[in-house]
Parts: sequence; C-alpha cells; structure tokens
Amino acid sequence: MPIERQISEYLHQEAETMECPPAVSKRIEQSYSQYLQQQRSKKTMKKRLIGSIVAAVIMIPTAAFAAPPLIEMITRTPMTAKQVKMDAVGQAALEKLYRSYPETKSFEIIDASRLGGDPANASQGKAIQTSIVLQEKGAHGKKIRLDLNATGEIEQVNQENWEPQEKPVISLTDQEIKSKVDDLINKLYGSSSKYECNMEPMQNPDQKTFILNYTEKGSTTPFYQAFVQGNTISVSLIGGGPAPSVGGFFMTNGKPDYTADAFLNDEELFSLLHMSPADLKEELAKGASVVEIAASKKISKQQVMDVIASTQAKKQIQADPHGGATVDDRTLELLKRILEPKVLKVIEHKTETPW
Amino acid sequence: MQSESMYHVLTKMIEGDQQAFHTLYDATYKDVYRTVSFLVDHPQDREDIMNEIYMQMWTSLPNYDPSRPFHFWLHGLVIRQVQRFRVKSWRRFRIFERIRVFSREEHHWDQPTLRTDGTDPEISRAMHKLTDKQRTVIILRFYHDYTLEEIATLLDIPLGTVKSRYHAGLQSLRKQLGNLPLERMDKNNAY
Repeated sequence: MPIERQISEYLHQEAETMECPPAVSKRIEQSYSQYLQQQRSKKTMKKRLIGSIVAAVIMIPTAAFAAPPLIEMITRTPMTAKQVKMDAVGQAALEKLYRSYPETKSFEIIDASRLGGDPANASQGKAIQTSIVLQEKGAHGKKIRLDLNATGEIEQVNQENWEPQEKPVISLTDQEIKSKVDDLINKLYGSSSKYECNMEPMQNPDQKTFILNYTEKGSTTPFYQAFVQGNTISVSLIGGGPAPSVGGFFMTNGKPDYTADAFLNDEELFSLLHMSPADLKEELAKGASVVEIAASKKISKQQVMDVIASTQAKKQIQADPHGGATVDDRTLELLKRILEPKVLKVIEHKTETPW
Repeated sequence: MQSESMYHVLTKMIEGDQQAFHTLYDATYKDVYRTVSFLVDHPQDREDIMNEIYMQMWTSLPNYDPSRPFHFWLHGLVIRQVQRFRVKSWRRFRIFERIRVFSREEHHWDQPTLRTDGTDPEISRAMHKLTDKQRTVIILRFYHDYTLEEIATLLDIPLGTVKSRYHAGLQSLRKQLGNLPLERMDKNNAY
C-alpha cells in the first residue's frame, strides 16, 4: 500500500477514536452565553478582549489549591464602568487605587466583571470576586487589574506595562525588581517590611520569570506571592498561616507530598474523625484514603467533603483570617459546590499514587 | 452542512440566536476537535484552543465571506488559533499554575497519547516525530484532503514552503515506517 494511502487511512481511523470531552462542549457553550450576555449588556464598556475570560479565571488567586478550572464553573457577569463606580466594593477599590497611583484617575475602565451576586441587585448576595481592569489611554498604556474579594480586599493585582517597553520590568536588576514589587505591596496592600522576602527564578522554559514569596516569621505559607514576568508584576494575597501541625499527609516516590496538606490540616476534620493529625497521617501511610478511614468509623464521604469544603470556602471568602467578614450562606454554598470535586480528589487519594 | 444553510445559521448566530449556535457547534465540533487533537498533544491545551476557536468564530463571523466554502474558513480559524496558541503569552500563566499546583499531573499529561485500538501504533509514533509545521501540512493534506495550493492559502505561506514541508514530512514518515519490520521484531522479542 503506498504510504500516502496508509497515512490517510490511519488518520481517518484515528480520528474516529477521538472523542471530544463533554467538558469542552460545556465550556464553549458557557463562553458563548457569556459572550451573548456581554453583547447585550455592552453599553459603555469597550468590547471585551478575547481570552480575558480565560485570563480572569487563571488569575483568580486561590487559597491553597482550589484549581482555577473549578472557579470557571460559575459564570462571570460583566459590569459596566458605571456599575463599578456604583458598587461599594468597586468604589472603595478605585478610591484606594487613585490615592496610591494618582495617574490612574485618567485611566479608562476597560473591563470589569464579577463572580456571583447580581450587580443590579444587592439583595442577591455579595460577589465572591469583583475584577476591574484599568488602562492608560494610548496603544501600549499602563494597565492594572484588581481582583477583589467579597469584603473588598484586594486578592490579586496585576500591573502591566508600567516600565518602558524597551526596558521591561524583568530586565531590571534583582534589587530594582524587588523594590518595584515592594512598592506595589506597600501602596495597595499595606506594609511589606514585616515580611521576609525570598526571590527565586522559576523554571519556566518559555520566559524568564521570578517568584517572590513574602513570608511572616514562623509561617510556612507566604503572605504575599508575586510573579514577575515580561513587563508584568502580579501580586496575590495568600494570607500566610502558621506552620501546619502535620505536613506531608501523603507520599509520592517515597517523599512527603504537600499537595493535599492545606485541605487535610483541618481541625473540623480531625474532630469529625476523632483522630489527631498524627494518627491520620499514620493511617494514610498504610495506603487507605480519607474516605476509607472515615467509612471504618461510619462517617460518610459526604460528611467529610462537607467539612473540608466548608473550611476551604470560608478561607477563600475571608482571604484575611483576621478580617472577620460576614459570610452569607448563599455565597458559601456556591463556593462549596465549586470546591467539592477538588476535595473529592483529595479524600479519595491514596499515598504513593499519582495525582 | 452546505455552505448556504451554514451561512443562514451564521447570520442567526450574529443576531444572538442560541439555537443557531448549537446547530453550528454540533455540525463542526467533531471535525474541529479532531483536527486540534492531531496538532496538539496536551489535552488541557486542546480544550483551551477549542474554546478560543469558537470564541474567535463568534467575533469574526462578520468577516466570513459566504461565497467561500465554510469549512475552509473554519480550518483557517483552527490553524491560526493553534499557531497563536503556540506563541501566546498568557500560556505562561498556565505554566505557572502547572508548576505550582499540578506538577505531578503535568508529567502525566504531557505523554503523547498513543492509541492502539484499531489504529496503527507505528504510524502514530511516526506522526509524533514530525515537527509541528510538517504535521500541520500532513494533516491538512491527508485528513482534510486539501491540495498543496489550498494549504498554502490556509497557512498563508508560499507554495514552495508547503511543498518542502510536505516532502520532508513524508520522507520522515517513510523513514520511520521503513524501520517497521525491525521494530516489530524487537517487540516480539521483548515479550
């Protein structure tokens, strides 16, 4: 058989075995209704950039490891510039930004959206996240994106093109880069001085990237985390946290695996299981999953999931543990539902198996 | 679906008819997904690209010239999005996230999917050894049956370049498949 025919037959045969995952169709359908919504609500807003939805989803800072795709499951509602200015959270954020960077007063709000809640109807619950993007007029203007949580705290800020194009921020010296990041944190979050900063290059084959972790003394998780790449500085508020009582509940290749620790170091979980963290770790080391350990104590999977999802959802809403924000039930439920698949993965995981 | 009725559907979509979107999606997604799968190995990337393709489709509907075949236009979108994805900068954020969160998963995902059910694993392996550029030409030629001239238009490159990629691709496949009997023997010995 000539090779041309062989290839053609192979490709057609192979194509028959390729099934488009339903999740893809669902995502596209969602993107389309979002697009339609935008088209309809587009009044003062500029046409939204393609991909901004994707970017928004990726940029959502996550407490420990709520995966970005999960957050994608709820729809972002676009907001007009006017709605941003009317919204309490949006208004406060803009004021703070204008105070810190007076030049931003002349910037245009080129994009804004929120997750959850209804911008036109405050009784519908608070937004879990509000995102606002401002840009300087002109082709390559400075750009800044703010992601705010339900209490109006800045969860993430993205500063783009603030250095001249020919000398992007990543080309500066380490010291200069650090002072740029410090400045951003000082202006928008508070003081950076009480944190120890550790700056390291990331293994990124595509582009030079730095990661800066700002950690409180005695804490294992950073309080702020910044990425510097190209002409962009992106800072997330992680919120720090004390060293977990037990680390490495699971093992991978014989080494402690910290992936699930944030989910499993949960006082509520320990009391539900009537186990100390050390006992739980010991049981997990025998190769049982959390679900199986719970089952042996006649505790259902749903109960375990509920406890963990609820802790994580609360953490996400109050990125600041001392914030004391009131959490409304609707938002909490919504976040819990979103977190469930991720929790399920953790509690069904067995040590030494790939994630 | 014929181009004419397709254009009708497209017109309805511009007006924001959700039903039209479903009709169009159902008529095209398999072909689009398969094409993307041939060109991109990583499942998560495929998903992102699929989304981009359809988003691009909605926004560029007004540019579609109904006198041209719809699939040709659609494949143009597919090719451009795949190419755009390869150089796109926001991908770096995915990379961040993967390094940060899913480092273990990534390792697993990045294995090219070698399917053996009913298809030839040797050709599959040989296809994976082609460069992206060669693979694109080979897929357009043998899966979509485009002529080399059409491929040149689709990829927006000179015909000569298409020809050289086509021949280089075929030669590489031939070379890989030439080793066939030997590989098979090795396999037999291994078991």
